[in-house]
Amino acid sequence: MPDQTANNQGATHYNGSPRPVLEVADLHVTFKTEGGLVPAVSGIDFSVAPGKTLAIVGESGSGKSVSSAAVMGLLPPNAEVTGEVLLDGRELIGLSSEELRRIRGNDIALVFQDALSALNPYYSVGWQVAEAYRLHHDVSKKEALKRAVRMLDLVGIPSAEQRAKAYPHEFSGGMRQRVVIAMALVNDPKVLIADEPTTALDVTVQAQIMRLLEDVQAEFGTALVLISHDLGVVAEVADDVLVMYAGRAAERGSVKDLFHRAAHPYSLGLLGAMPRVDLPPRPRLATIPGSPPSPGSITTGCPFQPRCAYAHLVGERCITERPELTPRPGEGYHEAACHLGRRPEVML
Amino acid sequence: MSTDELLHLKDVKKYFGLRGAPWRKAGAVKAVDGVNFVVRRGETVGLVGESGSGKSTLARVATRLLDPTAGTVEIGGQDVTRVRGRKLRPVRRKIQMVFQDPQASLNPRQSVGTILTTPFRAQGIRPTRAQLVELLRQVGLSEEHLERYPHEFSGGQRQRIGIARALAVKPDLLVCDEPVSALDVSVQAQVLNLLADLRDDLGLSYVLVAHDLAVVRQVANRLAVMYLGTIVEEGPAAEVYSAPAHPYTRALLSAVPVPEPGAKRDRIVLTGDVPTPIDPPSGCPFRTRCYKAEDVCATVRPVLEPVAGGEHRVACYFPESPADLSSPPLSERTP
Repeated sequence: MPDQTANNQGATHYNGSPRPVLEVADLHVTFKTEGGLVPAVSGIDFSVAPGKTLAIVGESGSGKSVSSAAVMGLLPPNAEVTGEVLLDGRELIGLSSEELRRIRGNDIALVFQDALSALNPYYSVGWQVAEAYRLHHDVSKKEALKRAVRMLDLVGIPSAEQRAKAYPHEFSGGMRQRVVIAMALVNDPKVLIADEPTTALDVTVQAQIMRLLEDVQAEFGTALVLISHDLGVVAEVADDVLVMYAGRAAERGSVKDLFHRAAHPYSLGLLGAMPRVDLPPRPRLATIPGSPPSPGSITTGCPFQPRCAYAHLVGERCITERPELTPRPGEGYHEAACHLGRRPEVML
Repeated sequence: MSTDELLHLKDVKKYFGLRGAPWRKAGAVKAVDGVNFVVRRGETVGLVGESGSGKSTLARVATRLLDPTAGTVEIGGQDVTRVRGRKLRPVRRKIQMVFQDPQASLNPRQSVGTILTTPFRAQGIRPTRAQLVELLRQVGLSEEHLERYPHEFSGGQRQRIGIARALAVKPDLLVCDEPVSALDVSVQAQVLNLLADLRDDLGLSYVLVAHDLAVVRQVANRLAVMYLGTIVEEGPAAEVYSAPAHPYTRALLSAVPVPEPGAKRDRIVLTGDVPTPIDPPSGCPFRTRCYKAEDVCATVRPVLEPVAGGEHRVACYFPESPADLSSPPLSERTP
C-alpha cells in the first residue's frame, strides 16, 4: 500500500480519521545471529491517527513486539531495521541515539507488559515520573515532582501526593501499571505504544486500565498502538486492526472488518478458536492445526499454508507464491494476504 | 458417603506463616480460609478467581501436594488428610495433576519415554512400550515422539505430554491448574478440545483451575468462584454464567472483554484491588469493593446459601436476583 503513505494531501485516511501521526512503511527487522540471519518482521505497513487506536494482533513469534521495539529504536545492535517510520512526518530510522533519546519518551512512549521490571526499585515512583519529565523539560526538581503528582492523580492513584513518595514494591500490579502509564504520559506524547499492557493483570483490573487508556486518549488525543493477543480487548478498544503472522501482515482493516468480515483463514481461525464468556459453550472449538512457525523457518509461499484449512482449495500457488495484501470488501480499507479470492466459509 | 464423590474437601484452611521481622508483625497469609468443595464422578468443575484468591493453593491441597492447616481431604471416599509418603501412592492413582507451565514441569534431561515411565514405576509397574505409545496416542501424539526430549516440542505438544503423564495411572480425577494459560489462542483451543475428548472417551472428571472465565465456560459443567480464600458462589455453570448471584461474580463476568465490536454491555468496573489475605476484611471478604455493601456485610462472613432452592449457592447478604440482572447495576463506579 505505498499509495496510502504517499497520499497525505487527502484530508481523511481510513475510516475518516485525520492524517496519521505515526506511519510505518515496509518495515523489515532481521536479527544477525550465530545461526545466520533470522527475519523477524518482513515488510509491514501501518499507521495511526491522533485519538485513534490501532491494534496489532498475533501469536508468539508473529513479530508484533519486535515491530513496536523497532519503531521505538529499542532493538539490540544485532538487529537490522529497514523501511520507513515517520513520526509526524519525521523519519526515525537512521537517527543517532542522541536524537532518538530526545524523541523517545517525549513524542512517542512505550508501556510494557511487565510494570515491575519497568520501574526502578530504588527510587520512589514520584521521583521516577518526575525524572522522565526532567529528561525532556528544563525545570526544577520541585516543579517536575509537582507535574509527576498531577500525572499520578490523573491515572487514578489515590492520594497521589503521599503515594508519590512510595516505592514500586509498595504498589499492587494494577497500581504499578498506572504508574508506568503516568510515566509514559508525563511528556504528553503524540503516540503511545502499549505492548500487552494488561496481560499480567486480573480481568477486573484490566477493565480499569483499558478504561484509563480510553479516557487519556479522549482527553489528550493520543494515538494508541495496542499490541495484544486478546481479541476481546481488541474488539473493545481498537479502531483498526493489523493481524500479523510469521512477521507479515495477514490481514488488516477496521475492527468491524476483522470481526464481521474476516478474509484471512488465520484471522477466522483465531476468532473460531476463542472461547466466549458471553455465549453458551460450543460442542467444539474451531482449531488451527499445528503451532505458529518459529522465525526464519519460512521459505516460499504463504507462511500460513502448512496450517491452512483452505490451502487445498487453491493448490500449488499457496506453496510457491507468497500472497500480497489485496483489497477486500469492507468499510473502505480492508486487505488480506491470501490467494483464496473469496471470504472463507467457516469450517470445523 | 456415596462412592461417586471423587473429592470432598471439608472446611479446608491453608495458612502460610510469615516470619516476624522486627518491622513486621508475625502473621499468616490465609490463602484458603474455610472451603467446602465436592467433585462428583463425571463433573468438570471450574474453579475461578483472580490472583491471590487461593484457587491454586486449593488445587494443591486437594491433590495432597500441600498439607492443609485445618480441615479434611477425602479422595474416593477415604480420608487422606494424614496419609503421607509411600502410603499416598494408591491415592495418587485416583487423582493426578496437570500443571500450568509444561516447560517447567517436564524434566529437560529425560526423554518423553522416561517421563511417561516414571508414574508407572511409582506404582511399581513396568510399562510396555505399547502402553506408552497408547498414552501418546490418547493425547494426539505418536510413537515417533517417544525418544524425543521436551525442548523438541512446541508449548502445546509439551502440555499434551504433561496430560499423558497424568493419565498414565488411569486416574478418575484430573486437577488441571491453568492448563492453557501459557498457550497461544490457536493452540489453547486444541488442548481444550483434547480435554473434552478425554472426558468422553475415558470418563474422566476434572477440576479446572483458571483465571480465564471464557475458557472455563467452554468446558465446565459446574463453577466455583473464589475470592480471598473462600468460595463466594457455586453452582451449575450454565446457571452461574447466565444469572450470577454474587456481586463479585457479576462484576467479574462483566469485565471479560468479548470479541464483538460495539457490543453494548453493562460493565461493572470494580474499584481498587483485592485486599491482602494477611489481614482480610471482617465479615464478607468482598465488601470493600462491593457496590451493594451495607453495614451488615462487615459483621459476620456470609455462608453459602441456596439460590431459589437449587444447587446454585451464594455467600452474600444481598444476592442479585434475575430481575436485577436485566437492569443496569445501581451505578457504574469508576476509579
